[in-house]
Amino acid sequence: MSSVTDADPADWRATARRRLTRARDFVDETDRSALAAVSIGSLALLATLVGFLTMSPLTVVPFAAFVVAVGYGWLRHQALTAHAVTLAMTASTILILGLITVYIFLEAWPVFEYASVEVLGVSVPGLRLFTETLWSPVSEPIGYSLVPMIHGTVMVTVIATAVAGPLGVAAALFVSEIAPPTVRELVKPGIEILAGIPSIVYGFIGFTIISPWASDQFALNGQGTYLFVGMVVGLMALPTVVSVAEDALNSVPESMKSGSLALGTTDWQTMTTITFPAAFSGVSAAVLLGVGRAIGETMAATVMLRNSPALPEPLYNAFYGYETLTSLIAARYGTAHGLQFNALFAAGVVLFVTVLFLSVGSQLVEKRMRRELGGEE
Amino acid sequence: MSETKSTIQTESNPDRPVSTTTGETEEEVRSEWREYAFDGEPKLSVENLDVYYGDDHALRDVSIDIPEESVTALIGPSGCGKSTFLRCLNRMNDRIKSARVDGSVEVDGEEIYQDGTNLVELRKRVGMVFQNPNPFPKSIRDNVSYGPRKHGDIDTGVLAGLLGRSNEEREAELVERSLKQAALWDEVDDRLDDNAMGLSGGQQQRLCIARCLAVDPEVILMDEPASALDPIATAKIEDLIDELAQEYTVVIVTHNMQQAARISDQTAVFLTGGNLVEYGETDQVFENPESQRVEDYITGKFG
Amino acid sequence: MSRVTESALIREETSTLEAIAGVAIGLCALLFALAMAALFEVVTVTDSVAGLPMSNVLGGLLAVVGVVVVGFGAASYRGLVPTEPRASAGAVAATAFSAIWFVVGGLVASQTLGVGLAGGLLGGGLLGGIAFAVTAIPREDVGSTLPAGALALLAGGALLTGVIGPGWSWTPFDLNATFFPPIVVPAVVMFCSLLGGWAAAKAYGGFGARGRHLGAYLLVYLNALAIVAVLVGLVAFVVFKGAPGVFEGVTVAAGAGPSTTVSAFGFSHTVVWPVSWPFLTNGAALMNDVDGVLPAIVGTVWLVVGSVLFAVPLGVGAAVFLSEYAEQGRFTQVVEIATNGLWSTPSIVFGLFGYAFLLPRFGGEKSLLSGMLTLGFMLLPLVVITSREAMLSVPDEYRDASAALGVSKWQTIRSVVLPAALPGVVTGVILGVGRIAGETAPILLTMAGGTFVPGSQTVDVIGGFQFTASPPFVANPALLEATSALPYQVYALVTAGVGGSQLNDPEAFAWGTTLVLLAVVLSFYAVGIVTRYYFRRKLHQ
Repeated sequence: MSSVTDADPADWRATARRRLTRARDFVDETDRSALAAVSIGSLALLATLVGFLTMSPLTVVPFAAFVVAVGYGWLRHQALTAHAVTLAMTASTILILGLITVYIFLEAWPVFEYASVEVLGVSVPGLRLFTETLWSPVSEPIGYSLVPMIHGTVMVTVIATAVAGPLGVAAALFVSEIAPPTVRELVKPGIEILAGIPSIVYGFIGFTIISPWASDQFALNGQGTYLFVGMVVGLMALPTVVSVAEDALNSVPESMKSGSLALGTTDWQTMTTITFPAAFSGVSAAVLLGVGRAIGETMAATVMLRNSPALPEPLYNAFYGYETLTSLIAARYGTAHGLQFNALFAAGVVLFVTVLFLSVGSQLVEKRMRRELGGEE
Repeated sequence: MSETKSTIQTESNPDRPVSTTTGETEEEVRSEWREYAFDGEPKLSVENLDVYYGDDHALRDVSIDIPEESVTALIGPSGCGKSTFLRCLNRMNDRIKSARVDGSVEVDGEEIYQDGTNLVELRKRVGMVFQNPNPFPKSIRDNVSYGPRKHGDIDTGVLAGLLGRSNEEREAELVERSLKQAALWDEVDDRLDDNAMGLSGGQQQRLCIARCLAVDPEVILMDEPASALDPIATAKIEDLIDELAQEYTVVIVTHNMQQAARISDQTAVFLTGGNLVEYGETDQVFENPESQRVEDYITGKFG
Repeated sequence: MSRVTESALIREETSTLEAIAGVAIGLCALLFALAMAALFEVVTVTDSVAGLPMSNVLGGLLAVVGVVVVGFGAASYRGLVPTEPRASAGAVAATAFSAIWFVVGGLVASQTLGVGLAGGLLGGGLLGGIAFAVTAIPREDVGSTLPAGALALLAGGALLTGVIGPGWSWTPFDLNATFFPPIVVPAVVMFCSLLGGWAAAKAYGGFGARGRHLGAYLLVYLNALAIVAVLVGLVAFVVFKGAPGVFEGVTVAAGAGPSTTVSAFGFSHTVVWPVSWPFLTNGAALMNDVDGVLPAIVGTVWLVVGSVLFAVPLGVGAAVFLSEYAEQGRFTQVVEIATNGLWSTPSIVFGLFGYAFLLPRFGGEKSLLSGMLTLGFMLLPLVVITSREAMLSVPDEYRDASAALGVSKWQTIRSVVLPAALPGVVTGVILGVGRIAGETAPILLTMAGGTFVPGSQTVDVIGGFQFTASPPFVANPALLEATSALPYQVYALVTAGVGGSQLNDPEAFAWGTTLVLLAVVLSFYAVGIVTRYYFRRKLHQ
């Protein structure tokens, strides 16, 4: 698989030549009208893209041309058109997804530039976003520090993971290894359905029931605590952790479990010393995914927190809740202008990069597990 | 005989047994085989055993006594229920949710199908080696010492080390003895800490046998232990089984009739539909079978 | 190694001592349930039961559990009970107990005795060390019962003697939070009963492998039960709170409902529905008898339709290319990892993108179209992932068999691969739609409309198309206007607070909206899961 990319330059050149020959053969062999349809379609699509990016009102013209070209091609040369259209769709998909990534970074850039610091003669953009602690976009002194929000996100995520991680893994063990078949048939889809409860529903219950209750029970000043936001977010991430961890545990071959049981071990011993270690990568991938969900959770945090960026005193005080990265964006996008608006994108970049990192990490970890278990992959 | 050798032998998945109909009534089948008598108490005694998978009647009214310290081969065509029968002897069939077992299985005169059976103790006494080698993704040493560790006989953990209760010598001794018994020691003695997944198929299977021996069982059940192996590895396993019969009661399922003839003292023949058709001394069964159908099977007319 | 007896193949009948351990487990379950009830304010900790304060009763029961657990351990140690304990309770139990006792010791020393942080650490370290030694060094029957039982006894004692009782409160460090008995007593009782129950379950199993098995199973079962209970309780709670609002004014009678006129080829026929359901068919207005969420429902429907129309063809097409035409290699792998990464990207990030990128291109205002596209972007990675998975799981034999018959590649894809992959794609799309239908953050930034939308502002996309002479030639004001959607409406109600004075009953309205949203989203999930079961069953036949 990797041989193609790791090959030396000579090989690479040969490959390129082969590709070129193949392309020429393809052009020679294919019907002229089909080629025309495909080329007109591609050009039109490209023009549509350019038009859209430049906000031209004429964008609709090339788009119509594209539709006509595809329609003609579909009727006359279906196989070739299908190939071309799916290729175009792949390109568009990748383009859209790439566009999102690039665009967020571009929009965040001004504030990174503003907050750059010289370190040992090298200008490090955005450093002050993470070294200062003041968020004050309007009144002097101006500061765009993301530290209070990162602190809030970390607090919420840590608490949420403490809830969702152990409980979710234990529940996954239950569903995959312990539950009798009838219970499993009920609990498994049940947990999947519960993964779908919209976050605003949790937020609404948190806002109307839990926050006032907590503020009353613990004699707090005002409402909004990282502790209860974390617990609610943990509850939301729980079904994700259970589902993914359960898949991982299920992928441990039955022969391995039987092998252990046939030696006279209890189900619990087999679970803890064979099944769980074998599925460990997959289970940790599940927890990582849950962490990702918790970091990106917006609505529950927005409606339950105080929405005033600051650091609590002392730092570990979970009975106070100010702001997370997500709630900052949700609460301020409408009133933000200039650098503050870019700062929201900076928060988006931090979220995006963190979650992407977690996601890629969990995928690599999961791949490793499949390889170790000798399954296909 | 040569025809059977060349047939491609596909093993039925024990989880989803192939339903087969014999076209004969059970009475006809039963009448064909005579009791096999031997001296001494039977190690395993099975009486009127029926197994169902859902609506599938996988094993029909099987009764058989298996003597101690000998090799008993179970042969028969695919889907005849011989693997199912084997899995009843240490209740591994309990893992299959749809399985239902009727009848009686006694180990040393104690009924194992009753409430209060200690499955842990049962499986310690009646060990099992599976068709496909299934080592754990751990080191060779940990594979062998896995059973004794779980039974609390060996503890080399951090805590045991702190408390001075770590018994590493005992572990080393046990690992060496078991691997030698399984004829694997010479091949792995310099890499006991390597992952067992890196061994060859034949080595893995012998490791699984060593793992089973380390628990010190009385009976060893083998479910076609050599079917996934090449001829050289198969020969090693066969020699090993011969050795084991000195100390253990071995019950082995095999597809390969030559193998059964080579290694076993007694042979039981299962034919389609989960019927035990003939049981007796191996020489007798192969050379002078009672039943015409068994003779047909053995001479390769079907199967 | 001190294995007392070689265990027999057949276990004895239940002994009285086993029964005692069983009773202790039952007692723990009772305590747990009582504490749960107290936490949810079904019973009050400061109330009295049979003349005794509730906290004293709980404390007494806890002390009994402690005595039974410790007693069982001692009886087993003296050989009065036939058990099979290991030489030690093990490293995991020792670590857990030392951590628990470290916290207990630290809190008692620093808070109750008031010797400060250093004293607290010292006290905690001392007790933690003792707990570790007591758990690890003696035989398992002592090691796993004594630390648990002692904790139950200590907590029970504190509750019995009123050290923690009505009027007690604790403001730790400078947390700005004060702990009162209504929280602390149930929490302590729950924790101790879990620990006691675990120890009793181990004792019931006679320690050793079987005891550990039972102890662990008790906790795992309880955990599963608690999760299911909490999540089901959550849904039930929303249904309970929302039902009055949703079903207000529902009448079932011939001719009670709104009328629909169907006209075609000059004929028209009017159907009068037999059900009137004002919450689902009204908007919100001053003059309404019952305020409803029709505009939000219609908005959500259009959002879902738009994003599916955008994402599904694009995603499925891309998946066809990636799994059928493209060479499986580094390129497809990277695409796979990237799409997976984007699927887990926080929805607010998509919202931000939509806000900054799409809004200026569609008139500069929040609009339905921007919302559709933003949600479409979110849905796109999922469609690619599930479709690709479904297509890759179509066995290669199918393709080979088709190719061997001389069928072209595209014909094979169209008549073999796509039909075989269809169930997977459909299921994936339904589940994905369930998720985006409930998303709030992206539409908050891209299409949020008013909080209380009158029925007259219900969006009409189909009727909104107009053709114009100047570019872009097609216009649809409905698509370019902000409209409401269910999840946004819930959020707007939260932020509006009590400002909903124009409504008859703002609370019922809010809960009703939440219930409708929950019902819509969960039915997508239910349909998706049922579809998957249906196709799987069909496959296995």
